Amino acid sequence: MVIAEVPKLASAAEYFFKMGVEGKRFRPTVLLLMATALNVRVPEPLHDGVEDASATELRTRQQCIAEITEMIHVASLLHDDVLDDADTRRGIGSLNFVMGNKLAVLAGDFLLSRACVALASLKNTEVVTLLATVVEHLVTGETMQMTTSSDQRCSMDYYMQKTYYKTASLISNSCKAIALLAGQTAEVAILAFDYGKNLGLAYQLIDDVLDFTGTSASLGKGSLSDIRHGIITAPILFAMEEFPQLRTVVEQGFEDSSNVDIALEYLGKSRGIQKTRELAVKHANLAAAAIDSLPENNDEDVTKSRRALLDLTHRVITRNK
Amino acid sequence: MLIYRGLSRISRISKKTSFGRRWLPSHPLLSGASHSAAAAAADSSVKVLGCREAYSWSLPALHGIRHQIHHQSSSVIEEQLDPFSLVADELSILAKRLRSMVVAEVPKLASAAEYFFKMGVEGKRFRPTVLLLMATALNVRVPEPLHDGVEDALATELRTRQQCIAEITEMIHVASLLHDDVLDDADTRRGIGSLNFVMGNKLAVLAGDFLLSRACVALASLKNTEVVTLLATVVEHLVTGETMQMTTSSDQRCSMDYYMQKTYYKTASLISNSCKAIALLAGQTAEVAILAFDYGKNLGLAYQLIDDVLDFTGTSASLGKGSLSDIRHGIITAPILFAMEEFPQLRTVVEQGFEDSSNVDIALEYLGKSRGIQKTRELAVKHANLAAAAIDSLPENNDEDVTKSRRALLDLTHRVITRNK
Repeated sequence: MVIAEVPKLASAAEYFFKMGVEGKRFRPTVLLLMATALNVRVPEPLHDGVEDASATELRTRQQCIAEITEMIHVASLLHDDVLDDADTRRGIGSLNFVMGNKLAVLAGDFLLSRACVALASLKNTEVVTLLATVVEHLVTGETMQMTTSSDQRCSMDYYMQKTYYKTASLISNSCKAIALLAGQTAEVAILAFDYGKNLGLAYQLIDDVLDFTGTSASLGKGSLSDIRHGIITAPILFAMEEFPQLRTVVEQGFEDSSNVDIALEYLGKSRGIQKTRELAVKHANLAAAAIDSLPENNDEDVTKSRRALLDLTHRVITRNK
Repeated sequence: MLIYRGLSRISRISKKTSFGRRWLPSHPLLSGASHSAAAAAADSSVKVLGCREAYSWSLPALHGIRHQIHHQSSSVIEEQLDPFSLVADELSILAKRLRSMVVAEVPKLASAAEYFFKMGVEGKRFRPTVLLLMATALNVRVPEPLHDGVEDALATELRTRQQCIAEITEMIHVASLLHDDVLDDADTRRGIGSLNFVMGNKLAVLAGDFLLSRACVALASLKNTEVVTLLATVVEHLVTGETMQMTTSSDQRCSMDYYMQKTYYKTASLISNSCKAIALLAGQTAEVAILAFDYGKNLGLAYQLIDDVLDFTGTSASLGKGSLSDIRHGIITAPILFAMEEFPQLRTVVEQGFEDSSNVDIALEYLGKSRGIQKTRELAVKHANLAAAAIDSLPENNDEDVTKSRRALLDLTHRVITRNK
């Protein structure tokens, strides 16, 4: 109804689907695989009809989690990215500009509200709590990124906490929600959570590396968008541990692009890139370990899905774009 | 007179005893959900843990005064009753709890939360007042209590949950304000891009999201999925209403139906659905829940219609003394819509827009010649009466607190109409 009334919201919805395609629908993929990997089989079905209906219903509910997750993800992107545009456009005050921002905020709110209604329809308050917490984490992570003190920006712990909030919380908590909907034990739910969390962290760390290296193995061929926006990521943080003088450059900021060059120089001399990769591998292994710790299950689909989840922990590490 | 003094004495007593003393309910009338003026004396040592925390309170002293009240004439009670003071103490408990619920790790988010409370003070906490009064008005009495302890705990827990609805409602309301108002600032400041400006906008958006997420967590804690659905729908309505306002076609802007639908979404949906949630939490029937919904909806609509009038008239009875902020922002409200029915040529002016302030003057002229203001007031009165009718249709209940609260709810339907600021 709203889309018919309001064409502009329809454009925002398109953005939604473009983003979904661009992102290769990574999150929903993980969640659907997790759903199968945790498949609780009904051992002695009364009759096929009963088993199928409840299994189908469970699957539908888990798909709903995947949809909700995407809605929350895109809502946060709409809120973050377009307001960053405000930053880079330096406040050129055309009406389109303002409408653009306002519409982006509204569209984000719209998606959030749809996510809330969908969440409510699952009639599982623990799941509602989990995903509401995700929204809170997204906000906290974004705020942490926006409002860092100098010490915080140079702190690895702060960075990892922010990264958890901004990137990993969504996947980890929705994996956990999948497990809860499947009626799994608390232990299994925690394993699902751990998988999502470590996968998400590994993903982000490699993302940080790629921002410097791009598709080439050498430095400086990446988009360098993080550092140009003054966002200090893991490779630089590691480099700062080796070269304390790099901190001075960081504190000056990177509006001056010569500072970017200086930082890249230090980064090249340091083991920052390698250490970040190593940390990503560590988290990927933790994710894999979580899958291996799942209760044994010989079902073919279950085994396949678990192998796929393991495969993902390799892919996040080895990808170069 | 005696009542008033009695009531104020109660409030003074409660203030003295509000720190560190716990009163056990000693009389069925005082237990759990009954809430007459200043009866709440929260134990300050009770840690605030959001909606799940129960606290016991009451004042044995109230017992004696109640007997006095009971013997006074009902007309005296009606005179002295101020709906807002009936729930004043409870509201401050809510405010404290809200503050703790929105504490953020990040200091700047915490500042946004402060904004929240300033807004709350400004708005006289209208919504929570309605909700708390509704909670009492719908009080389901346990007719044959097993023993005092059981009845009290249940009633107290119910009250806490209903207070939670009031808190959630405020969080949703302020979240929407943060998103709406600060972006309107972007409008008026015409995009001056200082970092503070951008930080201000982004932070306001983030703060709104933050409040929304806290509201969702609080909702979840109530473990009532119908209530969750109701309030999730409210969020959707707020967005829809705001979007309707932003992106109207020319026909839509001049349509009374569209305007009332938008007004329902933007203003009345929150109160109506949270009133309904209060009823559902109280275990009331579907019919009663609908009555609660109708009260909230019609009260909200009446409120907004008078708001529209005041934007033109301000505290003066004549036109043009109001802030005129609606029309200057190109927002066409009920008075103008009614005027357009009488003077179709006004529509041309409206379609030109109001960036040119001479158009504002022209519109005001037409408005003055028309019966736009009067018709809007009449419509507001109609909705206020519908709200009152909903209260009158509630199942009979002779409990004193229930009667008082219902009278206060009726009083509110008068106040929304007669207010001039």
